[in-house]
Amino acid sequence: MDLNTAEGSRTAVNTTSSKPGQHEKSASPADSDLLTSCVHCGFCLEVCPTYKLTGDENNSPRGRLRLWREEAEGRLEQDPWTDFYTSECVGCLACESACPANVPYGKIFENIRHQHVASGRYSPSLMLRMAAKAATYPLLMNLAMLPVRMLRRRGWLRGTMSVPGRPASIQSTASLARQLMQRHRPSGPRVALLTGCLMESVFREINAATVRVLIENNVQVIVPDDQTCCGAFQEHCGLEGAEQLQEANRKAFGKLQVDAVLSNSSGCGYALGRALSGSQTVRDVLTFLGEHGIIPRKRDSNKAQVYVDLPCHLVHGQKAAGIPTNVLDATGYRWQLAPAARDCCGSGGTYQMEKPENAREILARKSAFLNDAEGDPVILATSNHVCMMQWHSALTHSLVRRPFQVKHVIQLLDPGEDF
Amino acid sequence: MQPSGNRVHLETTLRNCVSRGRVLTSPAQLAGYDTDGLGYKEYRPDAVVIPADTDELIRVLQSARQLGVPLCFRGAGTSLSGGPVAAQGGIIVHTSALRAIRKISPEGFWCEVECGVTLNQLDEALKQHSVFYPPDPSSGPVCTIGGNVATNAGGAHCFRYGVTSNYVLGLEVILLDGSVHRFGGPAGGRGRWREDWKRFMIGSEGTLGAFTRFWLRVLPRPEKVWTFRATFPDLITAEKAIHGLVADASYPVAIELMDPRCVAMVENSPMAVGLPVDSFMLLTEIEGPAALVDARVESVAEILRNAGSRDVVYSDEAILRGKLWKARKVAGGLMGQLSADFVVQDAVIPKRALAELLQLVYDEADAAGIRAVNVFHAGDGNLHPNFLFDSRKPGELEKVELIGKRLMQRVVEVGGTLSGEHGIGNDKAAYMPLVFGPDTTRLQLAIPAVFNPRHQLNPLKVFTERRFTP
Repeated sequence: MDLNTAEGSRTAVNTTSSKPGQHEKSASPADSDLLTSCVHCGFCLEVCPTYKLTGDENNSPRGRLRLWREEAEGRLEQDPWTDFYTSECVGCLACESACPANVPYGKIFENIRHQHVASGRYSPSLMLRMAAKAATYPLLMNLAMLPVRMLRRRGWLRGTMSVPGRPASIQSTASLARQLMQRHRPSGPRVALLTGCLMESVFREINAATVRVLIENNVQVIVPDDQTCCGAFQEHCGLEGAEQLQEANRKAFGKLQVDAVLSNSSGCGYALGRALSGSQTVRDVLTFLGEHGIIPRKRDSNKAQVYVDLPCHLVHGQKAAGIPTNVLDATGYRWQLAPAARDCCGSGGTYQMEKPENAREILARKSAFLNDAEGDPVILATSNHVCMMQWHSALTHSLVRRPFQVKHVIQLLDPGEDF
Repeated sequence: MQPSGNRVHLETTLRNCVSRGRVLTSPAQLAGYDTDGLGYKEYRPDAVVIPADTDELIRVLQSARQLGVPLCFRGAGTSLSGGPVAAQGGIIVHTSALRAIRKISPEGFWCEVECGVTLNQLDEALKQHSVFYPPDPSSGPVCTIGGNVATNAGGAHCFRYGVTSNYVLGLEVILLDGSVHRFGGPAGGRGRWREDWKRFMIGSEGTLGAFTRFWLRVLPRPEKVWTFRATFPDLITAEKAIHGLVADASYPVAIELMDPRCVAMVENSPMAVGLPVDSFMLLTEIEGPAALVDARVESVAEILRNAGSRDVVYSDEAILRGKLWKARKVAGGLMGQLSADFVVQDAVIPKRALAELLQLVYDEADAAGIRAVNVFHAGDGNLHPNFLFDSRKPGELEKVELIGKRLMQRVVEVGGTLSGEHGIGNDKAAYMPLVFGPDTTRLQLAIPAVFNPRHQLNPLKVFTERRFTP
């Protein structure tokens, strides 16, 4: 079924590129067929955030592929500049959408990054390594982040993670789902929800809103207790450990009798989709609701204006056409796509920590429209928690000099904590 | 390639020329500039400069002249003819930072843009004023106006609107000595020059000077567009349709044709649109005021039906029109998926010779074991045979080059020429003697020699004789 979406009319479907148990690294980075699949047409240049930032062709997908290929073929020696240009890539995958020759850039980039980390050509910061390690212990992370949740709930936290919100400090999403399932007894399709590592430990209110919206719309929600982080964090950094996490999630989700596995963060959904390929269909919760149908919210004020930004891993990773228009209409707000909604905001998984200056410049250009945007309040809505953090940094770094709220679209559909 | 001592001097000199721009000199900074859209031919530059503004570009040109180093200019590097590559080493000047749209005059129907502006960027800006810039090469999302003017680029809709030269009112050129000249301007004409120098500049492929700014003519945006798609069982019926369309008063803006080999390639891919695999597919469009074009829809459909098509489909709705164009649009990318390399020729032929030339392409390619598909601008006889090959396999490139040579020989014999819109670059330079005899070549070479006597600007392009001698 074709859905009308906020960007087009393609059906949003998770794309997968590997079989269960088969990590993409099985394709050698030196695989000449992969590296030569680029025909050098240059269509990727104008969608690449780092090319647009620097005007340097080496800092584009076509340029990087050329450097990797020449090095793999022994025509270019290992060079710190190759390492630099590789590290500059945001990993937004916009080039994959623009590529007429279907070059699997994301797969090649992931392989090269793993190789660079393994050989010491690139070293993620200690903070990133620690964060990646912490993500593999969800219980520990939830406990460690308890103070963060408490401070956020009281509105006392400032900084990158201070996107205002009211996360439950103690009750887990799994517990909430069981409680609401008992109370409302939905009878519709049955779904399993990925709660994620950072989402559950810091942005738990988004998970809670997801559960409430689904159950309100007569969807049965189960939250497997034995699930773990999707592994996207480790993949972004080129660190080991993603395969073990993917294996754990295959055990947790693989054999469930559900109509779909849902994710409410596009990056996590993209990673889980690849891990569960062949066993479960992983879908973005908003795409699922768009097809399932959704109860619209009614708003008294018509002054608010929502600007919708489309996460890269939704439109370029999962190849979804956008966020369904019926879902956005159901928020009850006036909404429109943010300018250049399909372009990267600079978050890129861990990019805002690895290349803060680039990330800030990319965001500065993209967020400039908010300074003159109409609406009271102005709400920037997206569907990825890392993009939310990035957009919020436009306020904390004074890139945007007027107040605006950052929300997940699912929060705009939330029936509220009293549901 | 410069000796290492000279390279250090080159780098130091260039760094003195630019303060806000970039100078790239490490091997892994140069490798990204080894090639253009003709990805299998590589030439390593000695340095790449990305000037931040025209002043920096002027200093780079003056320094290159003093150093005696070849120079070539590069926009998006989408050329399919080996134009913006350092065929004789030296400096590549990448104009990616010069991308301001300086002025749009909807009343005067002109705009002023810098050379690095992309066609899509310009179209987005012009859209707000209900005007458009007609040349539309397929690389529009990324190619730059500078490259378009340098190659006198065309596109599908140039059947009616003509190529780039019809839309350049004026241009600013920086010569090798750093002097800045303006030929023409918003009002067109010759400016302060006796001769129409801007005509010399358009299509000169970077051999005369650096283009930095243009004044371009724009037209009112068409109110309504109808797209028609039809398939034909053979070339005779397809040609009948083409002749009917060309002569019809509805004056189509584009007439595109895909041969059965290209149709089969699309239909055997995930991009299939449901065309009969052994057919020729024709696309045509009419556009203009709604009342006028609506009245012409049936007559165009009738031409296609009368010629022998049984599946004429047409629409004026944007999404459906996109679907009708889909097979044509995906063909180029599919070639990239199917083959490590491909080369596309750009010959222009009298339409009466179409059947003969297509057969020649098939015969030569089949005999050499090279896959060939044709998708081209049939309305203006601009043939685009695409040869799919793998340059890593010994002998394949040579076979493709031999086919290209034989094809070009016949193209010239039947009254055609080498290039309609891609330019000559270094890919087709060897074919130039097929078109120009010794006397004409001497005169042709005299023109760039006026601007840079030692062929320092974009050497080895257009004419193989244009070798830079320090």
